[in-house]
Amino acid sequence: MSGFAAYLVFFLIVALTYSIVTMGLNLQWGYTGLFNAGVVGFFAIGAYGTAVLVGPDRAQLIGGFALPFPVAVVGGMALAALAALVVGLATLKLREEYLAIATFGIAISIQLVALNFEALTGGVNGLVGLPRPLFTAFGSPGAYNLFYLAVVASVALLVYVALEVAVRSPWGRVLKAVREDETAARSLGKNPAAIRLQVFVLGCTLMGLAGGLYVGFIGYVSPLDFLPILTFQIWAMLIVGGSGNNLGAIVGAVGVWALWTMSGLGVSRLLPVAYQSQGGAIQVIIIGLLIVLTLLFRPRGLIGEAEAVSRHAR
Amino acid sequence: MRHLLATGAVGAVLLLGSAGTASAQSCATSVGAVLSITGSMAAIGSAIGDAGKLAVDHFNEAGGVNDCTVRYILRDDQGSPNVGVDAAKTLVEIEKVPVLLGAIQSGVSMPILSSVTVPAKVTQISCCSSAPSFTALSAEGGTQGYWFRTLPTDRPQAAVLASIAAERGYKKIAIIHVNSDYGNSLAGSFKKDVEKLGATVTSVTAYNQEQASYRAEVNAALQGEPEALFLVAFPADGATVTREWISFGGPQKFIFSNALRADEFVNSVGAQYLTEAFGIDNAQVEGESVDAFNKSWEATFGAAPNGPGLHTMYDAAAVALLAMEQAGKADGTAIRDNIRKVTGGEGEPVYPGAEGFKKAKQLIAEGKPIRYVGATGPLEFDENGDVTGPYLIWGVKDGALVTLDKWDNARVGGALAAVEN
Repeated sequence: MSGFAAYLVFFLIVALTYSIVTMGLNLQWGYTGLFNAGVVGFFAIGAYGTAVLVGPDRAQLIGGFALPFPVAVVGGMALAALAALVVGLATLKLREEYLAIATFGIAISIQLVALNFEALTGGVNGLVGLPRPLFTAFGSPGAYNLFYLAVVASVALLVYVALEVAVRSPWGRVLKAVREDETAARSLGKNPAAIRLQVFVLGCTLMGLAGGLYVGFIGYVSPLDFLPILTFQIWAMLIVGGSGNNLGAIVGAVGVWALWTMSGLGVSRLLPVAYQSQGGAIQVIIIGLLIVLTLLFRPRGLIGEAEAVSRHAR
Repeated sequence: MRHLLATGAVGAVLLLGSAGTASAQSCATSVGAVLSITGSMAAIGSAIGDAGKLAVDHFNEAGGVNDCTVRYILRDDQGSPNVGVDAAKTLVEIEKVPVLLGAIQSGVSMPILSSVTVPAKVTQISCCSSAPSFTALSAEGGTQGYWFRTLPTDRPQAAVLASIAAERGYKKIAIIHVNSDYGNSLAGSFKKDVEKLGATVTSVTAYNQEQASYRAEVNAALQGEPEALFLVAFPADGATVTREWISFGGPQKFIFSNALRADEFVNSVGAQYLTEAFGIDNAQVEGESVDAFNKSWEATFGAAPNGPGLHTMYDAAAVALLAMEQAGKADGTAIRDNIRKVTGGEGEPVYPGAEGFKKAKQLIAEGKPIRYVGATGPLEFDENGDVTGPYLIWGVKDGALVTLDKWDNARVGGALAAVEN
């Protein structure tokens, strides 16, 4: 495999992993209007859950169950769902910006727990030497990455199809009703509180799933992986891609992640060697500028929400 | 959207095109670096990047590596592992670098190591990642030998201190340490080592930095009647802790970490209380090779090289390039196998700077063994890719800091072996 293709495979694995997170956030924000600013916290729980379940036994750690990878990922998702249930019960009474602040704080707390609960998470050193599923079955890292891309792409596709079916179902129409006017939804006999909780848990479970896939690919997890910047990146992906549209979430994830990483490649190629120390700053400016320009020219995102109008109203 | 796609495509073609011409024009070898130019480590990152570039410039001045010009490609990790891993992957796959320098934070270096460099058989040398987990991962075979770092870890320090404590017959030792990964890790290693040598640790107490008083911590540490105190601290807080320890009637037998070797510490505690104390520090913080680096840094940047990671980054780049020259080819596995041939051993010493590299290239061409003595002094990598350096033992005599003893690499190795078996 030539260099660029090998890199592209690697890039798509990470980008599609983020697209699963973005679809989870899209369900919460795009369809139901829940302002979850703690995305990274649930991603972290899925990642650490998977890491503890899949990791090898170590004397100084509580975890190390050495379970098969798929079981560990499901375990990580279950933990993320459980955490979302607890957080949701406590905070979903809050509206918009209040919910945002509460979830943001929770994500930071989760990261601090990861940093300090050394017996479980390895503290600042993280969990090292996690097995990458079926790695030895493939001769070269290139072939393995292709395999892993197939896995992540299938999972992302599955999530996409499932979400499309769900949001087109009667249950999915209630989500938009809750988003647009909760009182009206309640007057029609729907239970917005239950819907909000269901959506919150489901979305966070998807974030946990992505966390597990990330750990399987990288083979390592540390608190540094879960800084608040990641929440911001996921939000940028959703807004740029088009909130309220699952395809938009995927396009946004791939597009924004490409911008985030390949701008660095471009800068390092085009900038004279003497100015390379300044390259990082230039890259950050380009990222910000392109996101702002996209939003100025495509305020609803690259692929916006499809209009939902009753066929009787036409 | 169509515009965006079009400009993107043009950009991509341009990028790919420029890569083609660059390799066609002349023979060039690339060295990649992933450092935090922006993000939480930005304050120190770009100077560290300059240190790597300085080593590459010196090597190019000396005629390049294997008669090829060395290209230094620096990428920013923004202080985030996901961005750093991606940058490392582009360096390895697209730029085809055989060696990767970096990263600064352990949490960035580790995922690069596990998901990029080891699978691709690329050597990775870090200037700045100090986590003990790298040693553990190496020991269980997780790095396949592709991991090196040029800053000394706390392992040998702890072993040397423990062996002196045992020699002096300290049986019950209390530990007070600064609450950081450095403090935690050094205190933990020391505890393990002294217990191996038959002493007991009565308590391990962490303190948070920059507080007016540490009475509570000192009180806790005095429980269990320790005979001596091992203090891991920085000078200002360390002086507060030591003064309170003495005023509470703690025994005046101290073991000090390297950062306490400072006049301000001795003066603010009072030299008369420290006559039985000893501490450790890296021995080669001065010397001809260090001066050579400092001088050329000042000549290039107009200021003294004050800042973390500059010396170690220069050495990381220099060791990689010398190993490439020794191997005769730019290949990750060859670099891995030749790094120990150009450091350690009994070869002719060579120093930092263009002159030093010129001499090294000549000696290698003549088939003579070389030994790189770097900006941080002599370097010797152990089987886990960690450097063990010589240490000095300091104490206080007649009101001033003095050197009590020197430990060369062999003796340090002996102390390490004693606590590991």
